[in-house]
Amino acid sequence: MAPYRIFTIPRVFVGAILLRVVFLVYGGWQDANSAVKYTDIDYMVFTDASRYVAKGEPPYARDTYRYTPLLAWMLLPTAWDGPKPWSTLAFAFGKVLFAAADVVAGWLVLQLLRRVYRLSTAKALRYVAAVWLWNPMVANISTRGSAEGLLGVLVAALLWATLTRKAILAGAILGLAVHFKIYPFIYGASIIWWWDAQRDGAPPAGQPDLFTRAMEFVTHSRVRVTLSALATFVALNGIMYLQYGMPFLHHTFFHHLTRIDHRHNFSPYSTLLYLTSAGQTGYHFEALAFLPQLLLSVVALPLVLAKKNLATTMLAQTFAFVTFNKVCTSQYFLWYLILLPFYLPSSSLMGRPKLGILAAILWVVGQALWLWQGFNLEFLGLSSFVPGLFLASLFFFAVNIWILGIIIQDGGLNGDPIAMARKVHWED
Amino acid sequence: MKRRITFIQGPAAPFDPHQAILSSNSFAVRNLDAAAEDRITITTDQDKLPLELRKVFDQSQELHIRWATEQPFDALAPFASRVSPGLHVHYTPRISNQSSDALCDLLRTMFGAEEGNGVDCMIPKDSFTTPPPLSAQFAASTELQYYTRLPTLQHLVAFIRNIICHDHECDAMAGSLHTADSVDIDYDRASRTLTASVFWSTPPVGGWEEDIKKPASTVDKVEVGILGAEPNVTPDEIKMGGLLGVVGEDKKLKPTMFSFPSRHHPLAESAKYSISFSQPTGLHPEMSISIPHSALDRPPAPLDATCALHTYLTLPSSVFLDQYQVSTTDPLFLKEHNLVSLRAFSGETDLEAPDWAVELWGSTWLFELATPSTTENGDPASNWTSTIPLHLRYLKPSQSGYRSAHVPWPVVFWACVSDDQSKMGLNPFDRTNLGYDGLFGPRTLFYQLHPASEQLVEELSVPVLELEDGQGLFQSRNIEIGTSIVIVLGFLWILTKLIRVVWATGFEANEVRGPDHEKKE
Repeated sequence: MAPYRIFTIPRVFVGAILLRVVFLVYGGWQDANSAVKYTDIDYMVFTDASRYVAKGEPPYARDTYRYTPLLAWMLLPTAWDGPKPWSTLAFAFGKVLFAAADVVAGWLVLQLLRRVYRLSTAKALRYVAAVWLWNPMVANISTRGSAEGLLGVLVAALLWATLTRKAILAGAILGLAVHFKIYPFIYGASIIWWWDAQRDGAPPAGQPDLFTRAMEFVTHSRVRVTLSALATFVALNGIMYLQYGMPFLHHTFFHHLTRIDHRHNFSPYSTLLYLTSAGQTGYHFEALAFLPQLLLSVVALPLVLAKKNLATTMLAQTFAFVTFNKVCTSQYFLWYLILLPFYLPSSSLMGRPKLGILAAILWVVGQALWLWQGFNLEFLGLSSFVPGLFLASLFFFAVNIWILGIIIQDGGLNGDPIAMARKVHWED
Repeated sequence: MKRRITFIQGPAAPFDPHQAILSSNSFAVRNLDAAAEDRITITTDQDKLPLELRKVFDQSQELHIRWATEQPFDALAPFASRVSPGLHVHYTPRISNQSSDALCDLLRTMFGAEEGNGVDCMIPKDSFTTPPPLSAQFAASTELQYYTRLPTLQHLVAFIRNIICHDHECDAMAGSLHTADSVDIDYDRASRTLTASVFWSTPPVGGWEEDIKKPASTVDKVEVGILGAEPNVTPDEIKMGGLLGVVGEDKKLKPTMFSFPSRHHPLAESAKYSISFSQPTGLHPEMSISIPHSALDRPPAPLDATCALHTYLTLPSSVFLDQYQVSTTDPLFLKEHNLVSLRAFSGETDLEAPDWAVELWGSTWLFELATPSTTENGDPASNWTSTIPLHLRYLKPSQSGYRSAHVPWPVVFWACVSDDQSKMGLNPFDRTNLGYDGLFGPRTLFYQLHPASEQLVEELSVPVLELEDGQGLFQSRNIEIGTSIVIVLGFLWILTKLIRVVWATGFEANEVRGPDHEKKE
């Protein structure tokens, strides 16, 4: 008799779906029976906005709706006002959609790990299940109705389209993702740098002069990705602008550039931002916060790493973007979680278990220290901004920097697992 | 100028005819135990007004100022209405949506501009809020509203002494404001009248000792009265009996008995409520409104009226409610908080802005409170509690790490609504423009519960960024330097890692030797 195996495709996916169904049903029960709601407050914002849209009003009629109208349109079924049990089910439509997006994202990651990274199905399933599909945090976030899960499927699809050389599709997904949540624009830099002529099968270049190299930079694929991304982004924004005018631009984009972000969060800048927004003048270091963040995530990391290992580069970019951001909340961690299954199998965090465990412990300790100080502030009313939250956020920053350094080292010095896989495959 | 002085005696207060004597040119009271209202009415086109006031009135359609002390006081009939302690301004500019800075200038000089305890508005357009549109159906509501905490009237006393008074008598009258429990100032363009009413719930030590002279000019008039409430015949009316007279006209006080409809009625002394916050308050304080079960009986309103218990919150900008949280119709939430629903709100509802970025003075919230169903009527001595979830805004850093947010006690009342939409009959002691009355129909009767505390303003401790000055380690300079160093070091650490990668393997893909590689060659 064959040994019982947990990590088969049906079992992992049935498990992932069951986990989400259980969360959805439990959430429905808690919402109906407790004054403390399972459903995320953001979901109330989305669905309120959908209700406005259903009435022919702009979604921005709802305060704090700071997203693309696409989201409110997608959730239109939740605005349906029918007889009782059915309308409750319709209201959950968005959560089901987000949870389904999770599962699809997991499927895409699995396909890439099996076909492009040539991991055995069982090994690929272990990573996808542990990091994403069976991760209760991921299932919890999407079933509570947070739209972050949609970003997961978009990023997974972007990587899938890129690694399978579908330039127009990759560009379109990139344009859509940036329209949805701005930050994926950083992936544009690494994908374009990665996609040189050799990726499309051209022979390796010799050592031509600078001019030839500059000319060679412009490849069909690069042009296709760029134009497709720009066209999608411009088209989507054009449609939304024609439909909703300035409020669309203001709430979807400008708001994120002009917000003060004075409230406590994981970012190392948060204490400083509180100080300066309250009128304490200094030399305004925070005004330059975009410099280290963008230099690393848009220029240096793609330039150095993208050709060596695209998925790890995207992970490092996301990590750098989140770590150096002026505001950081736990939803941001989901942004890089989807990319971990590509990095972990060949990482030194897995190769040297002691290092991996130390990294995990330090990261959790950094979180715990901050959350403890945050609890003191938020619920006990203790003034824990300094030194508590200040030092906790700097320590958390330091831990993230150290981990980012490891990711860079792994991505930069190890061989590309895709190329290695191909080599092994050829040798087989 | 008309002046009306009314002494209201409780049923147990002693009265002897010698305590109040009206002679041909004056009226004298001696150690009289009574509450008192002093009301002065000025016709603005006849009487000369100081320039500061005239400038404001020229631009005003209506201006109603309400002030109440932070100490508890008995609000007895016919002065039963209440507002939250502090300074309330209800204002309609002469030309809609146009308000100059004159009003705020005047308010700042009249009431003081100390931070936290005074007027901080610059122009009404920025600081004043617009009451909910619901109130438009009721004529007695204004376009704009303002509130600030104001523990004392010392600035008003100084203002009157400097700007208005020319003699000692006037100075003394102004000084009596120090002990007032509530002050109303009303200007109405339609009637060109300015009315100031001052109410004292208790006499000075030893009782009232007043000598009120006959007015110098024949146009002026001074009325005096000593009244007490009588048992009323119909539930919506108040009946008063006592002595009335006009100083300089009447030879002696005339006995009188009259009744009139009244919007506001006091409840029995036992109908008390108290406000508290569950500790620790954190950044999300929960306000509890506790009322003994025994005080929750339906008020003695006409039987055809529908009565419901309400509370009206006046919250400074440092404290706010999440309109989406409290306007929910979720029965579980409402049951947990013993609320029926949010009826109306106005003002600053931003959920994210820190206090220093908020220009409006704050917000107002009208809730209908749940009352226990007849089956769950518990021990009459125990309390029935409704709770309202509040949130704190970020306040500016301080040396101690804490700042105070002051939350005035809300008013709690029964509002009894009848189908009758006709106007209320004339009441010589009527009081409108209280904020909440405009949110109900014109014939609504209000039955006021009494606040039970020595201090009607709650002080919440708000944790803020603790800033050491001088030599401290965590002064604002060091926080910026520390942040900068850590971020620059982090950035450099990543750069060195990247440089080592470039040094070792360049910018291109790492070589992987294998058939793939060979094929290309």
